Amino acid sequence: MKQPSTTPDTIECCLKGRRVIVCVGTGGVGKTTIAATIALEAARRGSVALVMTIDPARRLAGALGLEALGSDPQEITADRRDLLGIGSEGRLFAMMLDMKRTFDDLVSRFAENESVRLRILRNPIYQHVSDALAGSAEYAAMEKVYELLESRRFDLIVLDTPPTQHAIDFLEAPARLLAFIDSALVRRLIHPAFSAGRFGIRLFQGATARMLALFERLLGMAFLGDLSEFLLAFENMSTGFAARATRVREMLLGRDAGFVFVAGPSLQAARNAIGFLDHLAAAHIPLVGLVINRVRLWPDPQPTPIAGTDPATLDGDLHVLVDALREARPDVDSNKLARGAIAAATQYDELVEFDRRNTEALTQRAQRLGIWIRRVPELSEDVHDVRALQRIGTALFETADAGSPDLPGDDAGVT
Amino acid sequence: MATEAPISLLERRIVIVTGKGGTGKTTVAAALALASADRGRRVLVVEVGPFEHIPVLLTEAPDVTPIEVGYAGRSLRPGLHVMRVDPFAALAEYLGIQIGSVRPVELALRNRALKQFLSGAPGWRELITLGKIWHLEQLRTPSGTPLHDLIVVDAPATGHGITFLDVPHVVRSAVRSGPLARNASRVSDLMRDPARTLVLPVCLAEELPTQETAELVTRIRTDLGMTIDRVVVNAVAAPPPVADPRGLQSALSLLAADLPFRTLPQAPSLAHAVEHLASRHALNTRYLREIEVRTGLPTNRLPLIARGIDGLAALRRLAAPLLADPERSRGRSGDDDRVAS
Repeated sequence: MKQPSTTPDTIECCLKGRRVIVCVGTGGVGKTTIAATIALEAARRGSVALVMTIDPARRLAGALGLEALGSDPQEITADRRDLLGIGSEGRLFAMMLDMKRTFDDLVSRFAENESVRLRILRNPIYQHVSDALAGSAEYAAMEKVYELLESRRFDLIVLDTPPTQHAIDFLEAPARLLAFIDSALVRRLIHPAFSAGRFGIRLFQGATARMLALFERLLGMAFLGDLSEFLLAFENMSTGFAARATRVREMLLGRDAGFVFVAGPSLQAARNAIGFLDHLAAAHIPLVGLVINRVRLWPDPQPTPIAGTDPATLDGDLHVLVDALREARPDVDSNKLARGAIAAATQYDELVEFDRRNTEALTQRAQRLGIWIRRVPELSEDVHDVRALQRIGTALFETADAGSPDLPGDDAGVT
Repeated sequence: MATEAPISLLERRIVIVTGKGGTGKTTVAAALALASADRGRRVLVVEVGPFEHIPVLLTEAPDVTPIEVGYAGRSLRPGLHVMRVDPFAALAEYLGIQIGSVRPVELALRNRALKQFLSGAPGWRELITLGKIWHLEQLRTPSGTPLHDLIVVDAPATGHGITFLDVPHVVRSAVRSGPLARNASRVSDLMRDPARTLVLPVCLAEELPTQETAELVTRIRTDLGMTIDRVVVNAVAAPPPVADPRGLQSALSLLAADLPFRTLPQAPSLAHAVEHLASRHALNTRYLREIEVRTGLPTNRLPLIARGIDGLAALRRLAAPLLADPERSRGRSGDDDRVAS
């Protein structure tokens, strides 16, 4: 793998030509907002874009002018289009993924007939499994993306993924799901005769055979009955299922897709993010960018941090500020105001400095991977209006990365 | 509004820390464990995810590579034991006990087909993990006192957390008889025992975490029937170091943007700093109240530690506010900037 020394300059080159952008990251870092901003930008550039989210982000729905996000793509209203700066070409849709329904749809598609379909949908195991089965949420998300991509309704789909601790859970979960349904053990539960015959014996040596007996003892016959029925029904579907899962996976690992990793600026978040990034890279996930969201930044990057400044210098600045304030507001205590302003600036600068330091290693890792990096400033309010979305859009698309460690400064060295 | 004082966190047997991702769940779990151990309790921290996050938080120097504690667990400090429940290890242990011998179980669990089956099979991870916690709670010293005074569980984030805690109940209804059903019942009983087990949700005083916490609290109470008596609100911003932020901002807005400062940023940036500090505080104050109103619960507020939790000293700063009796905001309809302290 090549190691470019400079990171790509703009997010634009990464959006171009892609049909899916997947936003990944741990929970609570603002993936949904970033996903919405990327879709919005694509729409502003004339694409038909869809943002698909997992969270019921009501305020985001509000910002897009939607009452609430439904489980079908909903287009944002005309008046909102103007507010958001979407021209006549572009269109923006949003939807919330309904995992249960996607899963049910899948069963309906692959069930060979109506009675099988109903048997699965009514099976008590299925009812728990479709939301508890490891990976079903991820599977459902990928399934829906695939379906929408095939429909060719959208130029770009931006997917906000369920938060996971495992970076590549998202991609591996479907395979695990299929492995489970397809596993020899399952077949054995379904067709005891079958496994006793041919290779079953070889697969299950004495210990496993005893384990199976133990399962029965532990789980009870009624449960095993439900399980068999469920699996039997699924077994017939699993070929279609597997083929589709493979295609979904190929699509997400191919040229059409790009992954954007969203991280938070805290020490813990940044630490976790490095492991996550490495996982993605090792799994050959087409990673295109890193967004560090909600970073405390100065509106204009500060060449000299205030913290650690010589007090005499600050004193000089205090006088300048006091004089300026006195001139502007002769009626108030300019000394007190100036001291307040400096106290606030010093405190804020500390926050800026912490965020910079806490994300330094993460930024360097991303630079080595050759992906673009953007810091999005923390807004003082929750994202619930157009203006907030626009500010995030500006940080993502219109400016160079603010506060990159290799901006003019003295500590370009690696710690 | 007379409610009896909640039982101190130190008096619980099991505290299950949960909350939306990114709220600082793990930090709170570590802080609670450290605070309890510092006060002479024998504490066990149980991690349930695929990674170990607690040891690094409980390491004196932040840059040292943390030691792995694994399933066997390790004492990181006097009275402070940390382990990670690996479901496969717990399953092997459990089945070993059931069969009466560990070897056949170990052999069986090495079987690829079984591994494949287990990696996709639903529910068993959660059940076996909770079963292990049940088992840990039962452990006694030779003199009959509990081996661990307090077990702190760093549970999965909200969505998965509910699934996690709900599994014994689901299993009990799906598997109607046999040893598994009995085990699930025992675990479920422990989880719902108000004297022993507490769910401790961690929240941020912001929109989405507030919403998610409100839903979480409802589900824990109604669907899971578990005890919950407070919300920990993490990273609450202090008031800005300015008496009248708005007045200052407006004064700053009158200034030129090219004053001859040597270090200070220009007036618009100064105004930005003031605005940011003031509005983060106002936002936190507003949502603190909303958390209380929507959950009906008092809160423990932990201060925002700007530099991050970079060692034991920072973690210890959370001890007092975490162990204090939870409180409710004063003056519900009153002045908007005041947080009861």
